[in-house]
Amino acid sequence: MTRRETSRTYDPSLDGSFGLLSAAHELKAPTALLRQLALELRGIAEGDTERRLIDQMILTSERSLRLTSDLTKTARLQDGLFEMEPVNAQQLCEEVAHELTPLYRAHGRTINVRPRRQAPLVVANRDLLRRVLLGFGDNALHYSHEDTSVVLGVEQRDRFVQLGVRDQGPILPYRGVDARPAVTGRPQSSGLGLMIAQQFADVMNGTVGTRRHKDGMTFYINMAMSEQLSLL
Amino acid sequence: MTMVLLVEDDAWYAEQQQRLLKASGYEVQHASDAQRAIDLTSTQLPAAIVLDILLTYNTAFALLHELQSYAETSELPVILYSTQTELMNRDALAAYGVVAVLDKTNMHPLDVVRALKKVGI
Repeated sequence: MTRRETSRTYDPSLDGSFGLLSAAHELKAPTALLRQLALELRGIAEGDTERRLIDQMILTSERSLRLTSDLTKTARLQDGLFEMEPVNAQQLCEEVAHELTPLYRAHGRTINVRPRRQAPLVVANRDLLRRVLLGFGDNALHYSHEDTSVVLGVEQRDRFVQLGVRDQGPILPYRGVDARPAVTGRPQSSGLGLMIAQQFADVMNGTVGTRRHKDGMTFYINMAMSEQLSLL
Repeated sequence: MTMVLLVEDDAWYAEQQQRLLKASGYEVQHASDAQRAIDLTSTQLPAAIVLDILLTYNTAFALLHELQSYAETSELPVILYSTQTELMNRDALAAYGVVAVLDKTNMHPLDVVRALKKVGI
């Protein structure tokens, strides 16, 4: 188990992001309250329609909390110690799919994990990697078509492991360059989710990117393979 | 009836927790800031304190320091909740009588009641 300290001297107050981060922090409490009230209401709701609407409120507030929580987390990347550990990539994908399943179900969609026998280990901060995949999953839900499934998959490459979220949403224009938020945001997207994913990946010495398919996109993160793999 | 002191500056959050605590059989006193909480503990000692971290005026940490300084309140079990639990050092908080730390962003409304039951209150 190793600890890595980031050495960047990023100061959010200098580049205008301070307001954004403050807003994200301030939004947490009221959004959490909305979720709590909706959860309480869910317990006493009687009609199916009523319950369905309340579920939508709960899931939407949870999605909002994920985003605000990710944003506030980016502010602490430069001063935090992030524990890096071997993480089972396949297992993490399954956890993320499990966590997102209620949200997908409420939208009438499905999210699955491509089966895999040997699960590679990656060197990562488990929480940050989970947040990246949840963000990709949220994005895929928003852009995928109704009758299609979103699939999380793990692919082992030469020196790294790629964890990807494949959807059948709008294809990004080909620019022949690596994914950068400013040029790869989807239609009507601010690119904020990708920017957050990129910052989390940087801290873990990983990279994020996108791959075009004829019928959709894969948003992925490449992570270093754990040396403990050889011990398996 | 077991009395719990709820320290919360958000009126609607406080209203919800009071509703749920009372429905679970607790008597609840509510303080919206740290000073009021200290005043209330002087008039009637609660069985436990349920405390939000970010309060108007002083934070919960100032209140925890204050409670620790009095013999009457230094042993009170405290349940903390916040939207910023990831910033907290739970080991250090244990020294202040904190028996549970709940994350407001993913907790269930009844988690405070469950935490109280878990420590026998």
